[in-house]
Amino acid sequence: MALMPKRVLHRKQQRGRIRGQATRGNTVSFGEFGLQSADSGWLSARHIEAGRVAATHYLHREGRVYIRVFPDKPTTKKPLETRMGTGKGEVEEWVAVIKEGTILFEIGGVDETTAKAAFKRVASKMPFKVRMVHRRHGL
Amino acid sequence: MQTLKAVAREGRGSRLSRHLRQKGMVPAIIYGHKVEPRAVALGGHDLELALHASRLLALDVEGHTENVLIKDVQYDAFGTKLLHVDFARVNLDERVSVTVPIILRGKPTEVGAVLTQVTNDLEIECLVTSIPDEIRIPVGEMKIGDVIKAKDVPLPQGAALLVEEDVLICTVSVVAEEAEAPAAEAGAAEPEVIGEKKEEAEEEEAK
Repeated sequence: MALMPKRVLHRKQQRGRIRGQATRGNTVSFGEFGLQSADSGWLSARHIEAGRVAATHYLHREGRVYIRVFPDKPTTKKPLETRMGTGKGEVEEWVAVIKEGTILFEIGGVDETTAKAAFKRVASKMPFKVRMVHRRHGL
Repeated sequence: MQTLKAVAREGRGSRLSRHLRQKGMVPAIIYGHKVEPRAVALGGHDLELALHASRLLALDVEGHTENVLIKDVQYDAFGTKLLHVDFARVNLDERVSVTVPIILRGKPTEVGAVLTQVTNDLEIECLVTSIPDEIRIPVGEMKIGDVIKAKDVPLPQGAALLVEEDVLICTVSVVAEEAEAPAAEAGAAEPEVIGEKKEEAEEEEAK
């Protein structure tokens, strides 16, 4: 089932703007390899689910996939062929607001070649450019 | 031990640091041993190569050489560009606490076994001249249900563990069956709106 919050303060939100780069959630924290966004944008719950399915199917019960983003922003849409006005449309889907540099997915427990191939499949499901990054160890 | 040339920095602040980076230099600081901290700048390319080679460096700051340990490295939002480096002054006979990456070698051979690495770095105390690049743990022999704790990790000679002995390093477990997604998304149930029910209840009470 698609990801969405259990409880919200407001049913609908304004669209907002995405400015700057990610200063949080921009390092690989759980797995050994990560998929980092190279652009900013909205990542819908459907995109996240498609990415998760693509990775887990490729890994075929090997390793582990971590999802690092959560869609907590509702987006609305007016019905087709409706005149303008009469208030804001109904909630259509939930999205995660992604700034460039955010780690979207992580993979652990597999070698680099496998992770790269899995991320290639995930990348094709993403609505913006992404790149694979490695974990940076502490000093 | 690699020697890097550094120049003393006169000014401080983000603006001057940005100008330095535009020239291909990386701002850095040397501190420790109860001596006044010294702001320096190093060539970005040489420093990048040195960071991959060793943690212990000799810094030649305008003729005066100091042995330093890389303490912290800051990168930009993408984790690609070097922004700043912290160096700590060390004596070569000093014991230091460092974080060393744990590398798991091999794969559990049992069918359906999944290896999960819980801890990726281990804090140890050792001589500054014998800091290991990584700690390798063979996991090929592990069976389902086996765990490796910090006390089981083979440490280099003279090194001491600085974390609790019971800290979990890795586990081998069975793959959890993926839950079947519901056929239709059941009208994609809406989340509960905080405070909405309360208002309705109050209205009813008022009536």
